[in-house]
Parts: sequence; C-alpha cells; structure tokens
Amino acid sequence: MSDLERRYLRLVKLFYPDGYRNERGTEIVDTYLALATPDRRWPSPADVVDLAGGGLRQRLRPVGATGIRSGARLAGTLALSTTTALAGSGAVLETNPATTPWFGFAQQGPLFSLGVGLWAAWLLAAVVHVVAPGRWTRLAIGSALVLTVAVIPLAAVTGLFRPPVFVLLPQACLGLVALGVPSRPALWLRLPPLAGAAAAASVSAAVLYGGGNEFPGYYGWPAGQVLPGAGVTLLLVTLLIAVGLALRDDFRGAWALLLLLGPIGMLTLRPLAAEIAVGLYGGGPNPTWTTLAAAALVVAVAAFILVALALAARHRFAFTRAAVERCAECGSPTGGDANR
Amino acid sequence: MREPTFMILTALAGEPLHGYGLITEVARLSDGRVSLRPGTLYGALDRLVDAGLVAVEREEVVDGRLRRYYRLAEGGADLLAAETERMRRNVAAATARLKTRTHRGAPRLSGGTA
Repeated sequence: MSDLERRYLRLVKLFYPDGYRNERGTEIVDTYLALATPDRRWPSPADVVDLAGGGLRQRLRPVGATGIRSGARLAGTLALSTTTALAGSGAVLETNPATTPWFGFAQQGPLFSLGVGLWAAWLLAAVVHVVAPGRWTRLAIGSALVLTVAVIPLAAVTGLFRPPVFVLLPQACLGLVALGVPSRPALWLRLPPLAGAAAAASVSAAVLYGGGNEFPGYYGWPAGQVLPGAGVTLLLVTLLIAVGLALRDDFRGAWALLLLLGPIGMLTLRPLAAEIAVGLYGGGPNPTWTTLAAAALVVAVAAFILVALALAARHRFAFTRAAVERCAECGSPTGGDANR
Repeated sequence: MREPTFMILTALAGEPLHGYGLITEVARLSDGRVSLRPGTLYGALDRLVDAGLVAVEREEVVDGRLRRYYRLAEGGADLLAAETERMRRNVAAATARLKTRTHRGAPRLSGGTA
C-alpha cells in the first residue's frame, strides 16, 4: 500500500461514518488513486474538502438533513451580510479619533490595532462577493476567517491591541456559515453584504462622530447593545424569510435558521458571560476567559440540542417521502417541494 | 435538475461505467466544465441509486481492487428524456426569440421613406 493510499484511507476514516466507510471506503480511495498523477504523494486541499463534504453529507443522510444544502446557501448570505456589517461598524470604531487613543494609536503609529486589518479583510470579502462570487468569495471569507482566529496569538506575540474574544468568536462562527454562500447568485443577492457594511459604517460613524459617548470602545455599547442587537436582528430577519418561504412550501429558511442558531447565540456572549460572572463570583467590569468559555459552551450546547431536536422531530413526524420523489442530487423532495 | 446530475445520467446513458470512468466521461462530455471529485460523485450516486434512477450493474475485481459498475435505470432514462425535452424546448424558444431580435435590429439597406 502506497503512502498516498494510506493518507486517503486515513481521511476517509476521519470523515465518513463506519458503515459507509466499510461499504464504499476502498471504492472512493481507488477512484482517487486512479485520478492521481504518478508523482502525487499527498491528497490535495481540494481532495480534503471534497472528502469532508462527502462525509458530512453521509452523516446527515440518516437524519433526513440532506436538504440542508439549500438552507446553507441562504444562511451563508445572511451570515456574510452580518459579518461585513459588523466589520463596517468595527472599522469605524477603530479609526474613530475618540477611540484611537484608547487603542494606543498615538504610541504605535498606523498599525495601532490588529482589528483594522481584520475588519478590512471582512470588508474585502463583501467587495469580492459583488465582483467575483463563488470560489474567490469563499477564498476571501476563508482568509478573513483564518485572520479572525489568528489575531489572538498575533496580538499576544506583537503586543498590539485586538478586538476582544466576545467579538471575534461570533465573527468566526458567522464566517464559517458564510462559507456556504451561493456560487452564482443573482446580482441583487451579491449586494447585501456590501450594503450591510456601508449601512453599519454610516450609522456607526454618525453615532461615534456625533459625540456624547465618553467611552466608545468594544467594551461599551458594542458589547452590551450592538452585538446582541445584531443577533436579534439576524434572528428576526431569518425568521421572517423562513415564514415567507414556508408559506410557499419552501423550507430553506428553516434550515438556515437551524444553521444560524449557534452564531446568533454567540452574539450574546458578552451579556451571557456577565450573567455567569455574577453567578460565580458576584460579577466584574469585564468577563474573564473562564466566564467567556462557559458562556460559549452554554450557547454551543443549547444550539446543538435545538438542532438535534429539530432534526429528530423532522425525521419522526414529517417529510417522509418516497425516495423517488426526492431530488436525485441534494436529496430534497422534487416538484413543488424542491427546497424542503 | 442540476448540471452534475444531468451529466452523470447522460454519461451513464451510453454504457455502464465505474467511478473513474464516470468522472472522465463527464469531464469529456462537458468539455472539462464539470469536474466531479470522488467524494461528490459517490454521494450523488448514492442518492441516484436511492431514487431508483441509477442501479449497480456489476462488480469486478481488477488488480485486486473492487470495481463497481453503474448503469442508468429505467426511471433515470425517463427523467433524462424529460429533462432533455424541457431543455430542448427552452433552447428552441430562446433561439426563436434571438432570431426575431436579430431581424428587428438589422439595419435596413433599402425601402425607407424618402
């Protein structure tokens, strides 16, 4: 057995469920080997993504969640619009003259905070989505996502300011969902992320430059009002879309809502952590790593339970259709129910 | 029906194929536009088999490796025919409209008012 075959088998073992792996694992690997050039030693990143996607689809199949793909596209657009809106707001916050001294601008020059680069990366994703949707957009989102996670160690190494974890974590969760953006959307569907960023930046600039706020850092109104407010807005918009689509017998919105539950919960991380801190040690000015981790765990577990309950309910009570009625490719019912 | 599914059914309409053969045939038929990867292909094949559109024809062992051949089932042939007819009508409608547009937009060389 070659090293390449061993590596493909390892990936299949990692991503696919046991039963399917036993039945199909070698067939998949053999096909990869037949397609590989003689000098190939490692699976390509695209192969890893393909196997991860294939494995995920096989894991979702038994619970009847294969129609999740169409919901993921809708959720991707909504998530990307939210991330870019938050980026627009964050960029204004970090470049505001009233805020920059707090970030250390006077001492460290233009590179006063890693947040500037981070928000620029997300804003770039909004622009790329308009001019080159699909592969390039996903690349831009992926890069921004990596940067969102990387700013934590980067800040530790460089000593520069970075946005707090309760800002970065929901951004990363939304960014993951945003990777599901459709590859070839209509022009009007490409605009919301850029429009959201412009609107959020305008509103933030009006508030910040209008004065009246003595401490416009991340720990002020962004933590208590803006992030949870964005979560509630996203929840309401998704619910409205879900209800509107459901009236037309289209259940994409329900799938999108399930996918967005976790990221929406993460947007309330700061107030939730504050509540946990009050319960644990009487509270404090800012949440600690422990309370933030506990809050994130609560949100993740709650979202997981809600999604599991929804899938179980769907599996048990509804949408049990004959296989022939289902779309051959995505598994969703065909005819009038194409997006269930 | 999405393009990859259409191309898989079209490829199998010719003869039964195994996974690698299907990938290369789909790439050839689509002039390289549709490039399937094994993870995606076998997921699609599973759903097509579940839907009764494709069936496993036979299994062979070549050089100690299992090869599973897939064929177009009766339901798959019917669906492919219906989809092809739908596309043919769309193409005919679009072609007719484009022809009308060309005639209307063509510059008139004679017969205008003096």
